[in-house]
Amino acid sequence: MLGYILRRLALTVPVIIGILLVTFVIKSLIPTDAVTAMFQGQVTEQEAKVAIDAMRHQFGLDQPWYIQFGHYVTGVVQGDFGTSVRTRRPVLDEIGFRYLNTLELTFAALLVALVVGVLSGIIAAYRRDSWMDVTATTVSLFGISMPAFFFGLLVIMVFSVWLKWLPVMPRGWTALLLPAATLGLIEAAPLARVTRSAMLEILGRDYMRAARAKGVPERALLFRHALPNALLAVATIVGLQIGHLIGGAFIIEVIFGWRGVGELAVRAIEWRDFAITQGIILIGSATFVTINLVIDVLYTWIDPRIDYSAG
Amino acid sequence: MFKRILLALLLLWAIPARAADETLHFRLGEDPETLFSAKTVSLTANQVIGAYLLDRLVYFDADGHPQPWLATSWTISPDQRVLTFKLRTGVKFTDGTDFNAQAAKYNYDWILDKKNASPLLARIGSLQKVDAPDDTTLIFTFDKPFAPFFSYLASASFGINSPTAMAKYGDQYGRNPVGTGPYMLKSWVPGTEITFVRNPHYQQFRGDALNKGLPYASTVVLTVISEEAVAQAALESGELTAGSVAADALDNIVKNPALKVVINKTVTNLLFLEFNETHPPFDDERVRRAVGYALDREAVVKAAYNGYAHPMLGPLANGIPGYDAAIGEKYGTPFNPAKAKALFAEAGYKPGPDGKLAKDGKPLALSLKSYSGFETINRTLSIIQSNLADLGIDSKIETADWGSFYPSLLKPDWDMDLMRWTSSDASVLTSIARSPGHRNMTLANSKQDEILDRCQTLVDQAQRNGCVVEAQTSLLETATFAPILSDWLVTITQANVKGYHLDYFNGVIVGDIQTES
Repeated sequence: MLGYILRRLALTVPVIIGILLVTFVIKSLIPTDAVTAMFQGQVTEQEAKVAIDAMRHQFGLDQPWYIQFGHYVTGVVQGDFGTSVRTRRPVLDEIGFRYLNTLELTFAALLVALVVGVLSGIIAAYRRDSWMDVTATTVSLFGISMPAFFFGLLVIMVFSVWLKWLPVMPRGWTALLLPAATLGLIEAAPLARVTRSAMLEILGRDYMRAARAKGVPERALLFRHALPNALLAVATIVGLQIGHLIGGAFIIEVIFGWRGVGELAVRAIEWRDFAITQGIILIGSATFVTINLVIDVLYTWIDPRIDYSAG
Repeated sequence: MFKRILLALLLLWAIPARAADETLHFRLGEDPETLFSAKTVSLTANQVIGAYLLDRLVYFDADGHPQPWLATSWTISPDQRVLTFKLRTGVKFTDGTDFNAQAAKYNYDWILDKKNASPLLARIGSLQKVDAPDDTTLIFTFDKPFAPFFSYLASASFGINSPTAMAKYGDQYGRNPVGTGPYMLKSWVPGTEITFVRNPHYQQFRGDALNKGLPYASTVVLTVISEEAVAQAALESGELTAGSVAADALDNIVKNPALKVVINKTVTNLLFLEFNETHPPFDDERVRRAVGYALDREAVVKAAYNGYAHPMLGPLANGIPGYDAAIGEKYGTPFNPAKAKALFAEAGYKPGPDGKLAKDGKPLALSLKSYSGFETINRTLSIIQSNLADLGIDSKIETADWGSFYPSLLKPDWDMDLMRWTSSDASVLTSIARSPGHRNMTLANSKQDEILDRCQTLVDQAQRNGCVVEAQTSLLETATFAPILSDWLVTITQANVKGYHLDYFNGVIVGDIQTES
């Protein structure tokens, strides 16, 4: 097992270098950079030439992309992710606290998604074709179809403007409530559907019928015998969804003014502040790779029949 | 671990209790990248720096004339190359150090020093040196006369920072700015909010300020809200004292009795259509003029700006010194499809059997470029397209975000672009239209170039305004670009807000604002 994990970790290094290389090549194709973006619509480039040239030189933007790439990789290995042209702060200072915020939002939303999604999936499967099943299936269809930004604005309208339960710009722990619930409810929808179909399949198996015939109480039947077997399918979808959650967090963060990586990424792209976008891509892909690894390891825990050491 | 992170975040965000009646809450569309005036040309950063942190040597009164602020008087040498300012005494920066001529000189020297790579190098023209022979005398010496200098001096960019603080914080000064302004920076949570507290020793020297004493509000919180819909919600819930929202959201707000709308119609922006004169058809002045006549500006104002703009026939916005409404009336190209058609015919473009304009059997097809991300721009483009289609001209709209759009204009493969420019000075005409133009698309015209260059050298305002009138006339005569409109500055405030007003260059005088309970 340990060998497997180490092998997987070693494989992430070429993956991340590849991602960086691609972003550097794309960047070199884009006709503008953070320095010119700062002058947009204010000062013509001719007028600002001295300043633009000096700033480009200061940030090494006047060098060919492969030289910049070399500097960047050397820097990253030493823990230096570069400096933002726009804010002149180290990239790690810009990303650091926002990364924690995004993780916080993502995991809070995941918790909401798991509780709501798995529970309503179980209920829908257990009471198949009842009104509860129909309601859960219909609501989850809305959840899957609803664009995150629209749902987010709807939530703000209802809870902040009409009901006035929470401020539009909340502070402290209440700030987490609306964005996490919005994101979590959207992601709960596919979870509910997967849980429902996995549970339905298992509840129909012969051993379940046998257990019921032997008089196993319904609760034990559901939670001890059926659910653990359905969880494998749920774990697979959760693994996929974390990527989706982080992507959804980008939109939700902008709407709710949640200071996360996504909100910063949107700005950094507008600003052409590539030091920040690269930092986010780097940290984002490392996170994604790690989460996938964790999910793969979790499989073996959920289903002991899976054994990676053989492969 | 998770708990600990959460706890840390809570501590980070905990905000001390505040007296609601004394705190103003405003919206920021984006987080400024820095609050060091000499390191930015961003509108947002300059709005914040100008309103709270830095006072300037001069301000412009309601009629567009420079008036003393941190300076008390000035003289201009006969050759207009040397400007000598007398400065106030007894003014202190909020770090306790003295404001004087040496401090001001330090700021301008910093900008002049090329190794500091200040973007303001683009705005000081031929400034050669700054001298401070004594505490109250500041002398600017130019290589050649530089007319826009007064309006630049009045802008936040040329406010005076504390040299002591600049030296103390070095590269991090932009996060720790110190000026002589009405407020002091208290805290700045990047991307979230900026909090200012009143400067307890502030002296208001501006003649156009309503409140000559200390600023009314003790605290001002600026919250970053990038989403229009969220800003609107925060105004409606009462969380924001004031803020701007997009034109199409205003209808709901106008109906809300808890809010009021403050409209500024004297503005410094212009939306206009530019032509690529380097190849046909726009190398022909008649075709450029014809397109000017084809534009239904009233329709754009109504459909794209929801009525919160005024049509423009002249090339200079009405908030820029030198503006003259009569020029647009006299030389402009008001909406007149018949005239447009006649001019096209004169240039050789006549309707074919399918109704499409063509010359020598080749139909006229135009490309129209602009920047993406703004509903107002998208709608304007559609109206221009349909105006042209009414005359039998096919046009293709191409939009991309500014960072891709603006550089793409340097490749000469386009015909027209829709552009919006904001400037507080008439030098914007020279920046944009003096050949070869800001995107290498304007043909040399010795007469017009001479006027545009001359306007840049007249420091005396009366002389300069005369020149700016000439420049506006020439630009319309040559149809270098087709003005469309200026959009208004619309601010929404809570109904109980008093004293919210803007100065000549659309800056807020925050010390004047108070809320009635």
